[in-house]
Amino acid sequence: MISFKKVCKSYPGSPEILKDIDLEISEGELVFVTGPSGAGKSTLLKLISALEKPSSGSIIFEGQSLSKFKNKDIPILRRRFGMIFQDHKLLYDRNCFENVALPLEINNMSKADTYRRVRAALDKVDLLQKEKIMPITLSGGEQQRLAIARAIVSRPSILIADEPTANLDKEYAEEIMNIFYSFQQVGVTVIISTHEIPVTNINFKRLQLNGGAIQNLIGHVQLP
Amino acid sequence: MMIIVIGITLCLPSAGLLVIENASQISKNIEHEAEISIFLKKDISKDQIDFIELSLKKNSLVKKIHFEPKLIAWAKLQSKLDVEIGSSVSTNPLPDAFFISLNTLDQIKIEKLINNLDGIDGIDDIIIDGNWIKKLRVILSLGKLSVMFLAILLVIVLLVVIGNTIRLQTLTYKDEIEVSKLIGATNAFIQRPFMYTGMLYGLGGGLITISLLKLSVFGLNKALFKLVSVFGTDITFKGLPDEYYLYILILAMFVGLISSYISANNSIRRLKIYK
Ligand SMILES: Nc1ncnc2c1ncn2[C@@H]1O[C@H](COP(=O)(O)OP(=O)(O)O)[C@@H](O)[C@H]1O
Ligand SMILES: [Mg+2]
Repeated sequence: MISFKKVCKSYPGSPEILKDIDLEISEGELVFVTGPSGAGKSTLLKLISALEKPSSGSIIFEGQSLSKFKNKDIPILRRRFGMIFQDHKLLYDRNCFENVALPLEINNMSKADTYRRVRAALDKVDLLQKEKIMPITLSGGEQQRLAIARAIVSRPSILIADEPTANLDKEYAEEIMNIFYSFQQVGVTVIISTHEIPVTNINFKRLQLNGGAIQNLIGHVQLP
Repeated sequence: MMIIVIGITLCLPSAGLLVIENASQISKNIEHEAEISIFLKKDISKDQIDFIELSLKKNSLVKKIHFEPKLIAWAKLQSKLDVEIGSSVSTNPLPDAFFISLNTLDQIKIEKLINNLDGIDGIDDIIIDGNWIKKLRVILSLGKLSVMFLAILLVIVLLVVIGNTIRLQTLTYKDEIEVSKLIGATNAFIQRPFMYTGMLYGLGGGLITISLLKLSVFGLNKALFKLVSVFGTDITFKGLPDEYYLYILILAMFVGLISSYISANNSIRRLKIYK
């Protein structure tokens, strides 16, 4: 589904962060991107979701190279990813419902469909009763769930989450991870960056970032 | 507030245009009354007069011909001066004359006509009463040029002023722009509301300009009407042709659109997100 061929990435005026990365992500996989702080996890996720372009090498989406995409097709490609950013990127001048509705606005969806879909997404993350509330008043875990609701509302085929449990208590973190697993169970590709691999009984792939190089590690079924 | 700034800014060149349009309207009317006086020789014969009249009639540049025999001219002059000069002056000092009006102000054509007339026997002197019109026209076209220059300058000012206002708005919506871009909004989608705003500024400003212009024409004419009743002259100040008002609106909206497009585009590019 997504493959990297000798991908390097450096930001202007800084040394190379990712070097000669080769990787392959298949449809429906659960992928953990691990590595210490500053290893380039966020950068890798931004490359996958076409928010950054590689300095060299090629990224291939379903057989088509990113560099071959026309300008106007890049936004369309991005809509196929449900992104959960490290800092949530919620809009604090909109209520919960309006935050989740944003991707559908971008997709020009009708009012009625938007209403139905947003409520379904909020229900999925257990925030339906807070739809009229401003996100600033939510707890950290609730804000994370709101960000997930916004990511899933347009039913993306790939969910990408950047350290979604970093600042959460253990029980909240488990709750969040369970939401992601439930999407993986119904066929969504799920890519999560994290400091440490959570305990799970699902098959997963682990991409370990270590000073620019990537190690492909395949996880195994872990029973609780 | 913004709209009033735009309205007044656009008013300056438009008002200039209004004045110039009116002045050139007047100069056009005068143009058609531009006259040449042809004074004939004292001893001219009736045949020669007929011949001159005929050749004037045949000339396509000549619009109107008026022949004034010396006797009538003499009588007119006397009645004007209200004295019996005839008693002190033994002979009529005035010549026969043709007064013709032309349908052109083209200097080359007029000179050619005069050269032709000069060759005809019996013509003593030709006087053109049109030189000052030429000067007026030069002044008017200079005026037009400076109005255009002013308009260009002010359009640039508007681009900057509207652009800056929209830029402030993009700062207010900074997060919204960023998140939208991150989750797959096209640039057009993000720019659209700002461009609507810019265009509305232009529309509102343009409407204010038009109202101000119409109002000032109306006010001027009211004042003129009072003058007319005192002096009995017949002058009215005309508004700009209707299509000019449309041009002002289109220009204002276009300026709003362009400047808001640039501002919104800059705000997206500042995010440094790929494409
Ligand atoms: N936009 C950017 N411009 C310049 N340097 C950046 C940018 N984003 C990240 N970096 C640098 O790239 C390195 C990797 O960052 P990041 O991908 O966020 O790592 P991680 O998510 O694993 O902590 C860091 O040293 C960071 O300072
Ligand atoms: Mg990071």
